[in-house]
Amino acid sequence: MGILFLAFFLLFSVAADADFTDNLRWSVDASARLNNNVMAKNISYITALGLDSHKVFTSSNGDIGYAVGQLYFTKLSNQTPVPWMFNSKNDSKFVIREAHLNYTAGPNWIPNIRFGHFTLPFGLEESIDTNGRLLDYNLGKNLGTKLDWGLGLNQVLNQLEYSFSYTLGGKDEPKSVNDSYALSGRIGSLSHLDFIFGFSFFSSKIDNIQREKFAIDWQYYWNTWGLVGEVVLGRDKRERHQWRKEQYYLLELHKTSISEQLKLYGQYIFINKEAEYSNQQLINIGLSYQIGAKLELSISSRQQLNAPKSGNKQNLIRLQLRYRY
Amino acid sequence: MKTLLTFILFVLLEQNVHAVAYCSLRDPIAQIEQLFPLKTNQLSIVRSVNNDIRNQVKLALPSNDLHFSELGKHTLYVAMNKSEALGYVHVRSEQSTWGLVEIIWALDKDLKIKNFAFQRCRSPKKKIINDDNFKKMFIGKNYQDLKKLLSSDGVTANSTLLDKARNAPQLASVILRCALKTLLITDILWGEELQKFNR
Repeated sequence: MGILFLAFFLLFSVAADADFTDNLRWSVDASARLNNNVMAKNISYITALGLDSHKVFTSSNGDIGYAVGQLYFTKLSNQTPVPWMFNSKNDSKFVIREAHLNYTAGPNWIPNIRFGHFTLPFGLEESIDTNGRLLDYNLGKNLGTKLDWGLGLNQVLNQLEYSFSYTLGGKDEPKSVNDSYALSGRIGSLSHLDFIFGFSFFSSKIDNIQREKFAIDWQYYWNTWGLVGEVVLGRDKRERHQWRKEQYYLLELHKTSISEQLKLYGQYIFINKEAEYSNQQLINIGLSYQIGAKLELSISSRQQLNAPKSGNKQNLIRLQLRYRY
Repeated sequence: MKTLLTFILFVLLEQNVHAVAYCSLRDPIAQIEQLFPLKTNQLSIVRSVNNDIRNQVKLALPSNDLHFSELGKHTLYVAMNKSEALGYVHVRSEQSTWGLVEIIWALDKDLKIKNFAFQRCRSPKKKIINDDNFKKMFIGKNYQDLKKLLSSDGVTANSTLLDKARNAPQLASVILRCALKTLLITDILWGEELQKFNR
């Protein structure tokens, strides 16, 4: 945390001649999400009100770097299972999502340096941001956390881009907990192209679980269609247990309207965990509709195709309204 | 209470938003390097495209409008070689039958087109951008020069440009509209500030 304050101080010092509101973007971001867990006969709500900001720091010779800050007050109502950062199904708290600085002013051959709380560079999420959306690429479940505090190196070169990070494994806390850590990285083709592919790795100890993962992800776009996929292979090990293999496969087909107001997607997900005896096959379908520049309506349905060894099949319907001022 | 009301008023007055989270913003580094190979850094200047700017575009280019994603805060990049400005880079989107076409425009310091490239184009005819005869119709031109390539309907290119566009007339019109809006908005929003780089 001290390093983050020092970094802010240095950036503000260098850019002290500029007004802080120069090159500043900010939005109030409000969302209300309804979750209907049909099989469990449980309806829950998650409401969030936050500030999303982005600031580019400059000197007269060019950009020095940028900062992203996202602070949200989040309230659960009857939410089960309870997300790890909350204490009960009706809890509420302030949540820091992204809070990082990316120093970009080095010579071209030196990578940018990122520090703070950021999304771990791994798989599809690195080029398709799902922050605050119903669309999800399972990053948090695959890695044990979606965001973490630490340090990263990133760069866009002529033909490829990469991002590597070393983080503390404390998830929402800027510290290492019981020797926790996470080493993560992705190298891929340029993310604005029509065909994108990437390779990722991950090694960590988070919540006393060791994880080792490798992933291949790809995206192919044709007209208003997109075909997206990810394969994650790896293993995890809890204390006093053996290593257990895991496989995760995702295939997504999506379509946007030509104005891009309407987006439709369908996902097939296959998850196989050695410890769980049976695999999970899931279908996600969803849509989002952008009403003007500020309001977005999203709906998704998640259905499990195969019967689990115990319990009910997953059947979750979600609806979200999101308003950004 | 007063503070709260002031905050709410301030929030309601803020018109310029980005529809997705700001952590998804990315600078077009690879494309800026492609268009300005000598650049050592870029200088970002962020400004708001609001309804007033939108109305000015509609007035100057009748039958045209800005896509909702074009409202909000946008960045103009000054390509720098150490302390010297080489030119400007501006990315704009134009709606087409293949979804949004995103074009990255390199402008010289007199706001004439220096070069351009697709950041995103899902048209099967996108190779038109490699055709020198087509590209020459834009390079070295300013807003007034390019406006002469617009037909009387205000949205399609005229025969002067279409003759060079071979089998991609629709995409040629999309590129022309995008160029015109880019030059117009750059001048309205950033023109005054950019004069310091001409000294």
